[in-house]
Amino acid sequence: MKKMRNSMKVAKWEIKRNLKNKTFVIGLFLTPVIFLVFFLIGNLLDGDSENETDSTTVFVHDQIEAFSSLQDTADMYELNWDLHLTDLTEDEVQNELENNEDTAYIFLTESVLDDGIVPVYTTDEIDPYFSMQVQQLSEPLQGMRIAQLGLTEEELATISQGVVFEDQTSVEEDATTRESEEEVAAGDELERIVPGIFAGVILFAIVITGMMIFQSASLEKKDKIAEIILSSLTPGELMQGKIIGYFVLGMIQVVVLLLFAVPLALWQLDMPIVEYLLVPETLLLVGIAILGYLLFSAIFVGLGATMADMSTSSNFQGMVMMLPFISFIIAGPVIGDPSGMIAKVGTYIPFTAPGVLIMRLTTLEEWPWVEIIIALVVLIISIWLFMKLAGKIFKVGILMYGKNATPGEIWKWIRS
Amino acid sequence: MEKLLTVEGLNKSFKDKQAIRNISFDVRKGEIMAILGPNGAGKSTTIRNIMGIMYPDEGSITFHNNNGKEIPRHKIGYLPEERGLYKNVKVMDILLYLADLKDYPLDKAKERAKQYLQKFDLEGTENVAVEELSKGMGQKVQFIGSILHEPELLILDEPFSGLDPVSQELFKDEIRHLADNGTAILLSSHQMNLVEEMCDRLFMIQNGQKVIYGTLDDVKTEYANFKCTIHGNNDAAMLEKISQVQRVEQKDDTSILFLEKDIQPTKWIKELPENVVINELKLNRISLHEIFIDIATNKNLLKEAGEENA
Repeated sequence: MKKMRNSMKVAKWEIKRNLKNKTFVIGLFLTPVIFLVFFLIGNLLDGDSENETDSTTVFVHDQIEAFSSLQDTADMYELNWDLHLTDLTEDEVQNELENNEDTAYIFLTESVLDDGIVPVYTTDEIDPYFSMQVQQLSEPLQGMRIAQLGLTEEELATISQGVVFEDQTSVEEDATTRESEEEVAAGDELERIVPGIFAGVILFAIVITGMMIFQSASLEKKDKIAEIILSSLTPGELMQGKIIGYFVLGMIQVVVLLLFAVPLALWQLDMPIVEYLLVPETLLLVGIAILGYLLFSAIFVGLGATMADMSTSSNFQGMVMMLPFISFIIAGPVIGDPSGMIAKVGTYIPFTAPGVLIMRLTTLEEWPWVEIIIALVVLIISIWLFMKLAGKIFKVGILMYGKNATPGEIWKWIRS
Repeated sequence: MEKLLTVEGLNKSFKDKQAIRNISFDVRKGEIMAILGPNGAGKSTTIRNIMGIMYPDEGSITFHNNNGKEIPRHKIGYLPEERGLYKNVKVMDILLYLADLKDYPLDKAKERAKQYLQKFDLEGTENVAVEELSKGMGQKVQFIGSILHEPELLILDEPFSGLDPVSQELFKDEIRHLADNGTAILLSSHQMNLVEEMCDRLFMIQNGQKVIYGTLDDVKTEYANFKCTIHGNNDAAMLEKISQVQRVEQKDDTSILFLEKDIQPTKWIKELPENVVINELKLNRISLHEIFIDIATNKNLLKEAGEENA
């Protein structure tokens, strides 16, 4: 109990000391600003290219003379389309698609009026909203289908008034089965990706802040205040306090990041991000991120205590510093094949587990619970182990003035 | 007087070198106890063992009025030999942090910190960053930090190193004042003149072993024989023949005669031979400083005195 209170004092001190430090505060806001700048630059370039190509080119193979009503509908909804008529058949289109960008082909054949399915072919690169926009066309087409039945105007009015609701939904499903499925899938994906990105940002921010522990661990030594501090608390309490303190600083960084990112995302992406975030999955992902922080902070605090200061770090210490970034290095193969060999192996190695787990859980539709649980157990045991080791190293290292410890010495401290 | 700290049979070695051997002493309420010795004698090692920064190979350290085995950290003030402060923080912030770590109420700590800053001529530096302070000012802040929480036991390792004479006096007065108010003080130093003026008891250590332990008065009567300093051109051999002279040190025209224990100063002066050239004559007890130099340079003055007493 007293132990915890002492650690909290240290944590509070570390937080206060950093928040009063100009360099830290500037860094705190610089990180999101850099994100923002890159985002805006990316957006600017994107915007340029959009202006050049201007609009989506849509070719209509029209056998039912619906082109003009499609044109009207497109105008009515202010769709950014270039509508053209074409004589190409469905077989020939494939070739055309490969050589063009942002182009779609719509085939209005007699069968459309019978079964209500409109084949649509698009190039790989297409306006992301195209599949939604194309739905608007179902309206005039549905009108034509009804008209085709040869009803009187009164009957027509009755049908379009009374059954319009039901009809439209069925048509919508009919007309673009493929697209609407994709649409749903995309929504699902976002729902998974948002908590994943959130957890990733947390992991990234607190690991970066956690690296400050590295410097902080040798600070008492550098400023020769170690013995004074240790006359009031134990090395273990000091170490714990630092880990907690830098965790909170990391969270402050996350909050500042989110203050910039969330409004921007809401404004730019037009998605219910907050809704996607408030799901139980977020809890697990954030939990994994926190475990990742605990692991790396234990390693950093132990290692930091073995050095006189930052500028004297050896190759060995530099290599250990790189550990958290392994998961970024293997990000490509893991996201590409989230059930593959690299992803699975990465899940069980404690250093890569947090990053890889977050990446896999965001990309996989079905969560591999057995793997998750095993990975978490491995992770928690490693954290416990590294905390113990760090405690031993820290205790000796913090009182070694002006000298860098060799790996051999560190090993001796661990064994003692 | 009430004992606050007892050290018994302390042994500690680094690799194959024995740093301290069989060190035993105690520190009592309201007294200044000094650990004296040349550099590398084992003063700091002893203190670090007491503070739990190192663990002794053998021996026991007992804090009286304390239940349990843990070091009663919040009752102890400690100024280590290797000392410094966080650089980029304000003076008041660090003082309050140090007091907070000792569980001392913050409002009281703030009050006391202000008083002490004023006392040590640091008024108005509360909001100055530590890195802007001079070395001496930093030393003062460290000292304030070690006494802010009204410790029962104050351990000062070389408190005077790096201080100018004015600040030394200031520290000396404050340490004396604290002891008079009941604080038990253990201080280590190699500045004999300062210690001689202030300590109640002393423990002299050489090569990790006890050399002298006792009250200052006891030590002085027991070890500090009279010495006679004579300015004038005299032959050393002649001076050595004077009765009750243990040995003579001569440098230019100055001769120092180390006298045996138990001399009668007046009687001894009367018996001086007439052919001694005297421009100036001084008769006084050997100072702690000289005893210390003697030990540090391994001369045998003390040994002789010790043997005679044995």
